[in-house]
Amino acid sequence: MYKTEVRGKLIDGDKSFSQISREITAPINDKTPLWWYAAFLISLGMFGFGLYAKYITVTKGIGTWGVNNSIAWGWAIINFVWWIGIGHAGTAFSIFLLILRQKWRTAINRAAEAMTVVAVFCASLFPLLHMGRPWLFFYIFPYPNTRGPLWVNFNSPLFWDFVAISAYLLISASFWYFGMVPDFATIRDTTKSKIKKAVYGFFSFGWTGSSKEWLRFEGLSFVLGGIAAVLVVSVHSIVSTDFAVSVEPGWHTTIFPPYFVVGAIFSGFAMVLTLVVLMRVLYKLNDFVTDSHIDAVCRILIFISLIMGTAYMTEIFLAWYSGSEYEIYTFFKNRIFGEYAFQFWAMFISNAIVPQLFWFKKVRQKMWMVFVISIIINIGMWFERFNIVITSLSHDYLPANWATYSPSWVEVGFFVGTLGMFIAGVLLFFRFIPIIAISEIKSVAKFNKPRKDHLKHAGHE
Amino acid sequence: MNKEKYMLGVFNDEDSLVEAFEKVKARGILPVEVYTPYPIHEILEGMEKKTRITHAAFFYGLFAALGILGFLYYAAVIDWPLQYGGKPFNSFPSFIVVTIVATILSITLLTLFTFSVRAKIFPGKKAEIFHERATDDKFVMVLDKDSLGENAAEIDSIIKEHGKIE
Repeated sequence: MYKTEVRGKLIDGDKSFSQISREITAPINDKTPLWWYAAFLISLGMFGFGLYAKYITVTKGIGTWGVNNSIAWGWAIINFVWWIGIGHAGTAFSIFLLILRQKWRTAINRAAEAMTVVAVFCASLFPLLHMGRPWLFFYIFPYPNTRGPLWVNFNSPLFWDFVAISAYLLISASFWYFGMVPDFATIRDTTKSKIKKAVYGFFSFGWTGSSKEWLRFEGLSFVLGGIAAVLVVSVHSIVSTDFAVSVEPGWHTTIFPPYFVVGAIFSGFAMVLTLVVLMRVLYKLNDFVTDSHIDAVCRILIFISLIMGTAYMTEIFLAWYSGSEYEIYTFFKNRIFGEYAFQFWAMFISNAIVPQLFWFKKVRQKMWMVFVISIIINIGMWFERFNIVITSLSHDYLPANWATYSPSWVEVGFFVGTLGMFIAGVLLFFRFIPIIAISEIKSVAKFNKPRKDHLKHAGHE
Repeated sequence: MNKEKYMLGVFNDEDSLVEAFEKVKARGILPVEVYTPYPIHEILEGMEKKTRITHAAFFYGLFAALGILGFLYYAAVIDWPLQYGGKPFNSFPSFIVVTIVATILSITLLTLFTFSVRAKIFPGKKAEIFHERATDDKFVMVLDKDSLGENAAEIDSIIKEHGKIE
């Protein structure tokens, strides 16, 4: 069970409830800082570049990408899996930690959920554009049509993936939004601006904080939390079946679903750490996102990093132990010592070795080091997906089909565009939405102090 | 809403509210409503209302799962059977994946809708605010003056002991 002594305080400073509301809504009510405009402008530029790359993709076709017949997936799928992985942290944070009754989640879950919604949205663009004719994407819906009606193939992992991703986007967005309703009401009732009162009043859906509302709200969180926990495991398992159900060497393994899920949570937590460090530095939220919060996330990362290392070693061991020459070729000749050795070792070192630095308390306490390591993990996880997608496809069974791959500027532009979209989304979130769940922080504020009600009871009765 | 009809007990923290609430209830009076910045379990239980949203969610899930499985069977076996890689038309294990995910989606959307209807939280609703700071830092108990009867003076003193009357 949770003990404040173990983890340190949940909130620093003895804050009153109205102080909590004021400090968390400060970015919304105060003047927007200059760096925000600068960063927003840059991210819009990146987003614009991405739009241009998408325009080229749509008008000229997939031929503008560096993909070829052997390596048909390229950056689009690498980035898709990478973004989905990042998008995993929202559910993992809110729901796993909710189920485990980890009270420290309250300071971080809102940011993690926001990140999820934006990241999953970024991810969904890649398969959409990769279809080549995105205007026909609705063919993947199983709807009664005039082509037979010919239904979609329910045995295909690509269809499972479509269902999983669209469900995940809708579910995480609604979970996030309904968590914010009470906070929007707080802004409505505390702000002095008439415009904000009207806008946040609209988005608060008439929330008043009555016991009837809270009772049902709790019921709703219970239901959504309970069933969305399945999604933490299912979404990336389904993504992994895109690979595992094929017969490519290096893909056709049973380790893939857990390996992908753990990898997703790993990259997601790393991105949460990046964001949370930024929140602390940029908005001075040190009192809410305390050193012990950062410490807790770092410790989780050590643990997940060890699982990642084990998964890498397991894959390599089984490739050798299976005696399959294709597996041995893919893992040893192509990945570890071959053409793609750089990407393999970049993945291995950034994911399995660098995060081990978090064992040292000095590293966990230095914000810049935490920030740098979190970025390294994100890059490492990108290389992991590169490693999986490209190396297996480049040299498979038929040497006649062997090919190499390098991305064209259009693919790079597309990726830069999603990065811009992500940064812009996060900046808008920082500016217009309470970054930390106000009502949840208030509900854990009492755990900071010894409960005085026991004393009071003794005194009165 | 006629504000004259109600008495507001306003408290500064959870403990004072809960104590006053329990004392008021011990006099056989149930407050009309309690407004708090965050959910307080003693109050939610004490208000003697139950939510059946979890039961509703269970049945949504049950019917959604059956419906989706039924649809997959209809589409892949009855309406237009197609052989995919020598698998049977009714390839039940691979139907399960879509069934689970789509069931979760149905439960989420239907439960949200139910919540919206039952808790009357929907876009465009105007909030009926008794006390402006109930979403910020005050814990507000609303009592119907008529329900107090001869206990009025006693209730007054209970509230004044823990908070104030507005």
